Amino acid sequence: MANLETQILDDIIVKGRRKMLTLGSAALAGLVFSSAKTAQAAVAYTDADILNFALNLEYLEANFYYLSAFGCTIDKPNAAAIAAGAPSAGIPITGSVGTAGTVTGGSKIPFATTQVASYAIETAIEEGKHVLFLQSALSTAAVAQPSINLGTSWQMLGSALTPSAPTFTPYTSEGNFLLGAYVFEDVGVTAYHGAASLLTVSGNLSAAAGILGVEAYHAGLVRTTINALDPTATSLVPVTNSISALRAALALQVTAASTYDPNPDDYGLATFQVSLAGAANVTATRIVDAAADNTSNFAVAAARNTSQVLNIVTGGGAYNTTTKTAISPATGVFFPVGMNAGPNGFK
Amino acid sequence: MDNKLNSLIDKALSRRTFLAGAGSVAAASVITGCSDNGTATSSTPKGSYTDADVLNFALNLEYLEAQFYLYAATGKGLSAADTAAPSGYTGSYTMGTVTTNSTVAQVAGGITVPQQQIINEIAFEEQEHVRFLRAALGSAAVPMPSIDLTFFAPLAALATTGSTAPPLVGFSPFANFNAFLVGAFIFEDVGVTAYAGAAPLISAAGVTSGYLTAAAGILAVEAYHAAYIRTAITASAIQAGSATAYPYITYANNVATLRNSLTVGNNSAAPGMGTGNTGAAGSSTSVEVPLVLPTGLTTPSSIVAADSSHAIGFARTVNQVHHIVYGSATVGAKSGGFFPNGTNSIFATTTA
Repeated sequence: MANLETQILDDIIVKGRRKMLTLGSAALAGLVFSSAKTAQAAVAYTDADILNFALNLEYLEANFYYLSAFGCTIDKPNAAAIAAGAPSAGIPITGSVGTAGTVTGGSKIPFATTQVASYAIETAIEEGKHVLFLQSALSTAAVAQPSINLGTSWQMLGSALTPSAPTFTPYTSEGNFLLGAYVFEDVGVTAYHGAASLLTVSGNLSAAAGILGVEAYHAGLVRTTINALDPTATSLVPVTNSISALRAALALQVTAASTYDPNPDDYGLATFQVSLAGAANVTATRIVDAAADNTSNFAVAAARNTSQVLNIVTGGGAYNTTTKTAISPATGVFFPVGMNAGPNGFK
Repeated sequence: MDNKLNSLIDKALSRRTFLAGAGSVAAASVITGCSDNGTATSSTPKGSYTDADVLNFALNLEYLEAQFYLYAATGKGLSAADTAAPSGYTGSYTMGTVTTNSTVAQVAGGITVPQQQIINEIAFEEQEHVRFLRAALGSAAVPMPSIDLTFFAPLAALATTGSTAPPLVGFSPFANFNAFLVGAFIFEDVGVTAYAGAAPLISAAGVTSGYLTAAAGILAVEAYHAAYIRTAITASAIQAGSATAYPYITYANNVATLRNSLTVGNNSAAPGMGTGNTGAAGSSTSVEVPLVLPTGLTTPSSIVAADSSHAIGFARTVNQVHHIVYGSATVGAKSGGFFPNGTNSIFATTTA
């Protein structure tokens, strides 16, 4: 058990670690462990800031899945949502910090298969629980739901893809729904991954690691199911490649290729060649969104810092590529007026 | 940072490692405005250990996973360069061997091209994890312990004991693709929970060195794998229409039940998760989430293995993981199951 001495030492370590982080531990990490992508934010965030950043993303994800699975937002569950396990009183959207925004767009998917319907329902319920958990953990520091665009945002995003898909919407078919989910899930993984090393309280770290695992389960589920629906890799799979390329480009706008983040950090579902101990070059699927080359990355998932995640979910709204400075508040695409943030804001 | 503070932190870190039995850094600290994080329960093994010990524990698991998937993909295992003691190794562990039998070989039995490609992917990624951890550990990396890939048969038999399912005799995960999925199911959720449990054990210095980020990155990859396995089994069961028509979903759930029974008494999850998953010693709350067979368009699947209150993934202690891979609930076991001579780890002996 911790005694007084270890508690005092812990305190010193925590304060020291915070300081080390703010002084650019990414550079240190690059020296010691060059393949670990420890993307650090430039701002000295508190644990509450980091959890609130995550909460903004969970409001976004939970509403997307609630609308897709049930046709309602998280605060106004309908009978279908409640029957599937949503809290009957709804999930609160009015936190203690910031003003609750509204959700625009989104509608129930015309489900055709048990597989995709059951996955959507499971994911919706789980993302809703993440909102509730973070609200509970943050207590009076929790931010309210920001304004969320789940309608025209998809066409903005589609227009940025190569090839362009200016009329894209996830709500017309199971395949398109999975592509919409694809947009979010791998981002969630990298965001929690990036957050992990910024958190200073052990309980928060454990929770973040636990949610990271769940987001990766969701991402794996989505990627597996897209592969299953598109066995010839001709309809959905090429779009995943395009989405991943866009995410990588948006992330790298903020943080140019550097010693700790030398590779594009996002991979679509195109197959790739691997070298196994018992076989030279064989073809592999890419269920895992991780750079996998033999010399520098070793199949470890990427981490993104808050700036990179912000730039992705705002479609480039977090960074001025001309002046090479952060834009705060970052607005655009899914967050038309930006995230709800505590006093430090998000950059 | 001024020298005085540096010196103080260094002193704190070295002293803290010495006192490591108390658990992860700052377990007792509470952030302002956070109500739910003050009761972090230590899931840390007693005694002193280093970050290298934590990474070497993970390396033992990666050796096991890599050998399983490589044999499944190609009929051959890791190369000697990936299993021998590294240059400059001064520890006492020696390299073991992999036990196979005539049924252990590349997955056969009508495998399709996409099925082969997913086995290739997972094999490659687990192989890379071995290389990653060995590179990170340098001369401190332990060599591969002896691994017994014939343990799937007795484990499967054990899993059906007391179950209504027909007993699995001579089960081999290499027999066909569905059997492979069940074999993989044994490992993947365990890998996720093992990394979740290990992450908070890493010291503050290790966090600064990137070890925590690395562990979290591997955790994510293991969860992607676990999701593939659980999705594939669920999808096959949906297509078959019933668990009778696709018994592998029942086999997988029997494995989950067995994993749980091997670790009951000291189950653990991320702390602060509310009732049911407090991580308290003696808690018997399951950290297993069985697969379900959804019917129709209005019921959820059960792909994610997470706490039902908050949808947060579970953690297992290094000790719980050892109970599972040894296939033994016995306290004080030093070896067994997949590791006939034990793991090459200071955590090798199971405790209560």
